[in-house]
Amino acid sequence: MKLGDFKFGKAEIQKLVLGSLMLVGLVYVYFNILLGPLTQRQAGVRQNIVDLDPKIAAAHAQVKKTATLEAAAPKAQQTLAQVSAMIPDGSPVAWFPTRLGDFFKKQGMDKAATRMSTELADKNLPGYRRISWSVDLPRVDFIPFAAAIAQLENEEPLVEIATMMIDTTREDVDAQHILMTVNNLVKQ
Amino acid sequence: MALRLNLNHEILQAERARKRDPLKLSMIGVGAIAACFAAYYFFQLAKMRVIYQEFAQKQAEFETVEPKAIAAKAREEELSVTIRAGDNMVQRIEGRFYWAPMIEQLVNAVPPEAQLTKMTGDVLGETSKKCRLTIDGLSSGTDPRKVAEDLRTSIAESFAKKYKDVTTNFRSLEDGVETVQLNGVARPTATFAINIEFQSSEEPAPAAPARIPKQK
Repeated sequence: MKLGDFKFGKAEIQKLVLGSLMLVGLVYVYFNILLGPLTQRQAGVRQNIVDLDPKIAAAHAQVKKTATLEAAAPKAQQTLAQVSAMIPDGSPVAWFPTRLGDFFKKQGMDKAATRMSTELADKNLPGYRRISWSVDLPRVDFIPFAAAIAQLENEEPLVEIATMMIDTTREDVDAQHILMTVNNLVKQ
Repeated sequence: MALRLNLNHEILQAERARKRDPLKLSMIGVGAIAACFAAYYFFQLAKMRVIYQEFAQKQAEFETVEPKAIAAKAREEELSVTIRAGDNMVQRIEGRFYWAPMIEQLVNAVPPEAQLTKMTGDVLGETSKKCRLTIDGLSSGTDPRKVAEDLRTSIAESFAKKYKDVTTNFRSLEDGVETVQLNGVARPTATFAINIEFQSSEEPAPAAPARIPKQK
């Protein structure tokens, strides 16, 4: 059978054109209606997976970070609990001047007058406030006083001396007049 | 020559024409292509199913872990407040300015020829404590001004061993009107006032800048 023997007549050409149109139609329908949307959906889902990955990683990282903090928290909680235990309940005006007076009395300085001067919340320590006290020791010997200050600073970690004035009294050169501003941390 | 007649030639021709029918050939070709397309489509559908499964898995994982992360974030804020408060508390307690060692240093720096009559001091700052002191006193000796100057330098040297940025200067230094008995000999006096400033603790170090990789 030779192809040369075959002659394309009008009917054959029409059939060829029809066949070509069917092919074009098939390609069009396939790529535009079937494969195209499928590929688009695939790309969309892939993108969703790609978008989810960092979110999942961030969520895992957050959980891990919190677990690390959870491990570090007991130390801080212990510190705060120890500090809380150091602060007596009740109004500081009721206990701090007495406490300081008793301390100086033990050191041989009887006349310690402590008055509250200012009070403000400590922004770095939520739940605590700082109270400034004015402490007046009218007649003390300097050396025992210096020893008492060393002991006060060691025994009372929540107390900080902000200002100090030591003045020799005119009447007795061996005695000094001490005026201090002491900051103390108390619960809110 | 014998005459050969093919009486079926019309049938054969019709058979041949039917076999070579362009429409039929086109249909076969289009069918083959459609079959390939269909196979590829089903392959893509199977792939799509795998991707959907992967997505569903990820989605489920995210839905599981997201509430945990939200809860963890809230807990982190609580813990951060506690930890920061604990750190601040420790820093506050350990970063206090201790007056007793400073007073000891000051007393040790004062020679027998000088007497301090007044001391005022204050401490400023939260993390880095800046201290300001003023001492008033009386010096005596053959050269009471030199005694006062020696006291000033002695304080500066002594404080510089422990504190930073120590500065000392005279606010006043004047000859006194009265004399004092020193080792049984009457000596002239001078009154002085010395300002002392120093830093008791170091400033917190600034955070190191982020490294920028060199561009090739």
